[in-house]
Amino acid sequence: MREAAFLTVAEASRLIAERKLSPVELTEACLRRIETLDNQIDSFVTVTAERARAEARAAEAAIMASAPKSRLHGIPYCLKDIFDTAGIRTTAMSKLLADNVPARDSHCQERLAAAGGVLLGKNATWEFAHGGPSWDILFPPARNPWDRSCSPSGSSSGSAAAVAAGFAPATLGSDTGGSIRGPAAACGIAGLKPTYGLVSRRGVLPNCFSQDHAGPLAWTTEDVAILLQAIAGHDPEDPGSANVAIPDYLAALTGSVKGLVIGVPTEWLEKEAPPSPATMAAFEVALNVFRGLGASVQAVTLPAIEQFDDAKKILAISELFTIHADDLRKRPELFGASLRYRIIAGGLVRAEDYIQAIRLRTELARKLQAVLSRVDLLMLPTAEPAKELEPVHPSTLFTQPSLTAAFNVGGNPALSVCSGFDARGLPFSLQIVGRLFDEATVLRAGDAYEKATPWRDKRPVF
Amino acid sequence: MSQTPTDDDIVQLARQAGLDLPAEFMPELIEAYGHVRQMTARVRAARPRGDEPAHVFVAAAFRKDQR
Repeated sequence: MREAAFLTVAEASRLIAERKLSPVELTEACLRRIETLDNQIDSFVTVTAERARAEARAAEAAIMASAPKSRLHGIPYCLKDIFDTAGIRTTAMSKLLADNVPARDSHCQERLAAAGGVLLGKNATWEFAHGGPSWDILFPPARNPWDRSCSPSGSSSGSAAAVAAGFAPATLGSDTGGSIRGPAAACGIAGLKPTYGLVSRRGVLPNCFSQDHAGPLAWTTEDVAILLQAIAGHDPEDPGSANVAIPDYLAALTGSVKGLVIGVPTEWLEKEAPPSPATMAAFEVALNVFRGLGASVQAVTLPAIEQFDDAKKILAISELFTIHADDLRKRPELFGASLRYRIIAGGLVRAEDYIQAIRLRTELARKLQAVLSRVDLLMLPTAEPAKELEPVHPSTLFTQPSLTAAFNVGGNPALSVCSGFDARGLPFSLQIVGRLFDEATVLRAGDAYEKATPWRDKRPVF
Repeated sequence: MSQTPTDDDIVQLARQAGLDLPAEFMPELIEAYGHVRQMTARVRAARPRGDEPAHVFVAAAFRKDQR
C-alpha cells in the first residue's frame, strides 16, 4: 500500500470500507506531513489537529460498528479560508477578518461534515479570493510544492498546494475567474468549477456573487467527482442555487470518450491569447490522446476573449466594491495593496456600465451555449506552467487575457487536469469545458484522460 | 464623461462615491480607474430598449419566505 497521505480519496475510501485502513491512521499521516513540511509551503493558515483527531476517532468507531455512511467517511479534507467554519477562524487572509470566528458552518462544510469527512484545517488564499499574491496581508502566500520558488497561482492557492503536497487528499476552493482551475493547473491536480448554481455559496465569503462558484480540488478527477457528489444540490439559502437533479457522477466515469466531439477555440489560441509553444505542444499531445480514445476534434469560434473579460471584470469590480465599500471608506489601509488596487475603482463605475456589462454577459453566455450545442466539450490549456512567486503588479488583472474567465461568464462547468510536465518539471494543464449542468461528461473526459496517461503517477518531492 | 478625466476629476468622482482617501492611495485609484474606463468604454453599445436582462427578477426564489 502506498504511503497513507498519498492515497487518493477513492483508494482510501475503499481501504477504509474494507477495514484495511483506519481514518485515525490516515488523519495522523496527513497531520504529520503538515506539521513537518508545511513550513516550506504555507498552504495552511489554520490547522485543526485536535478536532481532526476527534473526528477521525469518531469515524473509526462508527465504521467499525457498521459501515461507512459515504465515500468521504473518515477522509481528511481542508477548506479555502473563505468557507465559514463554526468556531474556527475564517480570515480570507485579510487583516479585516483577523479575529473572525463564524457561528455557523458554510453549506459546503455542513455537507462534508454530514458525509463523515475529517476537517484538517483552512487553506491559504489570495485576500478575499481576489488580490494577490500579497506579502502585506495576514499570512504569507502559499508556495508551489513542485518548486517552492514558484507560485501555486490563485486564489485557491493553499488548497491546490496542500493536495499536491500530500497534506490532504481533498479540498474545496472557489472560482470567480479561474481561482480553482488556475491553482489546480499550477499544482498539477484536478480542480472543477461546477456549473453556476450547482454548489451553494452560502457561508462562503463573496468575491463577485454573480460569478462566484464553489468547487472541489483533488489529485484525480475521480476524487473530484466524489467530492462534487457530496456538495452539489439545491440550497434555498443561496439565491443563485439551481434546483436540478443531481446525477451519480461516479457512475458517469465509464472510461470511454468514444464518439465525443471536442471543440477547440483556435482563434483564441492562435491570435487572441496564444500560449507558449511548449504549452501548445503539450495541448496537441493531449488532444491526440482523446483522438486515440475515439473522440473527434474540430475548430470552433467563440466571441472574443476581450468581451468575456470586460463583462467579467466590470461586474466583478462593481460587486467587489459594494461588498467592501464600508471598509474602503473607513479603513482602506487594512486592505493589502493588491486587493485595494483591484477593487477601489469599482466605486466609480456608473450603473449604466454595470447594466451594459450584464447585457453583454447575457449575450456572450447565449453564444457560448450555442457553440456547446454543436460540440460535446471545449478543450484548451488552463494556463501556462507556474511562474516565480514574486510580487505581481495588480494591474495584470485588468490587462492579461484569461483562458478561464469566459466560463464564469457563461456559467459552464470547467475542469482542469494535469497534462504532463515541462522541462523544469512543472505541470502543464488541460481545461475541459462542458454544457451547463453536464458535469458528468466533463468528469468522464477528465477521468478517461488521466487513466490513459501516466501523469497521476508522479508526485512533487521535497 | 467621454474625454479623459484629469486627476482632479477622479478625486471628485471618488468623493462622490464616498471615498475620501488618504493621499497615498490616490495614485493607485487613478491608475486602476484608467483600466476600468477602457473596459467600460468597450461595453457601451447601442442596444434595443427591451434589451434589459438586469430587470430579471425570479419571484420563485422568494417562495420559501412565504412559508
